Amino acid sequence: MSVQTPVKPTTERQVSSPYQRRMYLRRRIISTFHMAMSHVVTFLGVAVLAWILWSLFGQGFSALSIKLFTEMTPPPGSDGGLLNAIFGSLMMVGIATVLGIPIGLLVGTYLAEYGRYAKISAVVRFINDILLSAPSILIGLFVYELVVVPMGHFSGYAGAIALAVIALPVVVRTSEDMLLLVPDTLREAAAALGIPRWRVILQVSYRSAGPGLMTGALLAVARISGETAPLLFTSLNNQFWSTNMNQPMANLPVVIFNFAMSPYDDWRSLAWAGALLITLAVLGLTIAARTLLAAKSRMKG
Amino acid sequence: MSMFQALPDDIVAHAPVAEPTPIKLSVRDLDFYYGKNKTLNSISLDFHDRSVTALIGPSGCGKSTLLRTLNRIYSLYPNQTASGEILLDGENILAPGKDLNNLRARVGMVFQKPTPFPMSIYENIAFAVRMYEKLSKSEMDDRVEWGLRKVALWDEVKEKLHASGTGLSGGQQQRLCIARSVVLNPEVLLLDEPASALDPISTMKIEELISELRADYTIIIVTHNMQQAARTSDYTAFMYLGDLVEISPTRELFTNPREARTRDYITGRFG
Repeated sequence: MSVQTPVKPTTERQVSSPYQRRMYLRRRIISTFHMAMSHVVTFLGVAVLAWILWSLFGQGFSALSIKLFTEMTPPPGSDGGLLNAIFGSLMMVGIATVLGIPIGLLVGTYLAEYGRYAKISAVVRFINDILLSAPSILIGLFVYELVVVPMGHFSGYAGAIALAVIALPVVVRTSEDMLLLVPDTLREAAAALGIPRWRVILQVSYRSAGPGLMTGALLAVARISGETAPLLFTSLNNQFWSTNMNQPMANLPVVIFNFAMSPYDDWRSLAWAGALLITLAVLGLTIAARTLLAAKSRMKG
Repeated sequence: MSMFQALPDDIVAHAPVAEPTPIKLSVRDLDFYYGKNKTLNSISLDFHDRSVTALIGPSGCGKSTLLRTLNRIYSLYPNQTASGEILLDGENILAPGKDLNNLRARVGMVFQKPTPFPMSIYENIAFAVRMYEKLSKSEMDDRVEWGLRKVALWDEVKEKLHASGTGLSGGQQQRLCIARSVVLNPEVLLLDEPASALDPISTMKIEELISELRADYTIIIVTHNMQQAARTSDYTAFMYLGDLVEISPTRELFTNPREARTRDYITGRFG
């Protein structure tokens, strides 16, 4: 077989026969059409996002003040801030993170490392996928039955547990996926040196998948920091300063939910400010995750 | 000179002359299954101490599978099973309850694709040593240097021992992987196409390394490259479709194969 002459780039290509010219024109039209559609759809998507951010930043920034961080949520008609809600959110998201991420990581590790071929893993994966897409209000009701009813009252703990249950499937899924990206040849190479399984996981799999695992965890935190529905039935709300996790606890999403639908202007502007705070926090987390990932991959290169 | 001789005289002439040494590893009636699929049929052969044995054969003939039974790395996968006997110094490594980590420290393995761990060059080597020995910092430094010198990598990396092992070139990574095995003082070294992902110069370095390591270890190398087998090995085993067709001293196998299938393969009639 002779060596084929390389095809010249399209622009210089001789388009000779009428058939070829028609064909070429047809392809150009189809290509232009699809390219245009892609641009329009992309623009629409980004435009909606930009619109949301625009009104959020516009309304939110004007409501920002130092009082947000020093005063409690006010009764209607008087001045106030969001301190109790910010604190409550931080506490509950923090506890949910401490509960949900280690469990999720361990489950993901089981699925990717020990039980990859086990029948039980298929069941766990299936249930996890259902949990992943379950409406969060259902999780709120579940924790209401599980924690709030036996305790007899709403509490910050119940809210944290509900958030942990929401974070769990996200972490399970991302940590399994990230660990599966670690090539098996690396595991084999470590096993071939006689290194026990648990050390291979800790020092080879986790190390290789580190940035990915971290990103998954941060995304889970971002996800739960804006959840409202599961908190309605669990931590409820609290108009006053309270650090007692065993009592109803204020939190940003529920405050936003209550204040945004109120007829009072000062409440509504506090809701905007709260929404802006959550958005900025999530943005910060995402940027942190990305920077971490980039830094790690640079170090590897 | 045989009319079937596949390789130029000078290559085969450079093949090390086999001196009979004691048997280190002995495979008896080995069958291997991927699930229900049988891929090795009653393989029996011996590997001699302090010698290089090459496993050759067309893709899918089972040579890598055979290699993967010798340190039981296949046991990582629950659907892969082996039956028969593999005797390492007379002890059956297929016996149930065998301490696999201990076995794998005695039978080292290097893979086709270089697999440095995501840690520093130093740590890549020290990592496994720590599993077995309690060494002081200076003893460990010495051990790491010894390993890197053994694979002729020391001069290239001594300035950057704490840089990431993944930043080395492919050939350097592969020598790092060999060093990582060698520092555990294994008795047997399994090489699964160690040079097939490397450029010719790196390949040459790996082959030189094999000739040097031969003095201390029992080496078994899987290779697609018949010239590599001829250059580096004392014995060559030819496998085909899960059968061991023939094992002979390398010079004999390449100049005067006993089996017609071997002759066809080394003269390039198939495979």
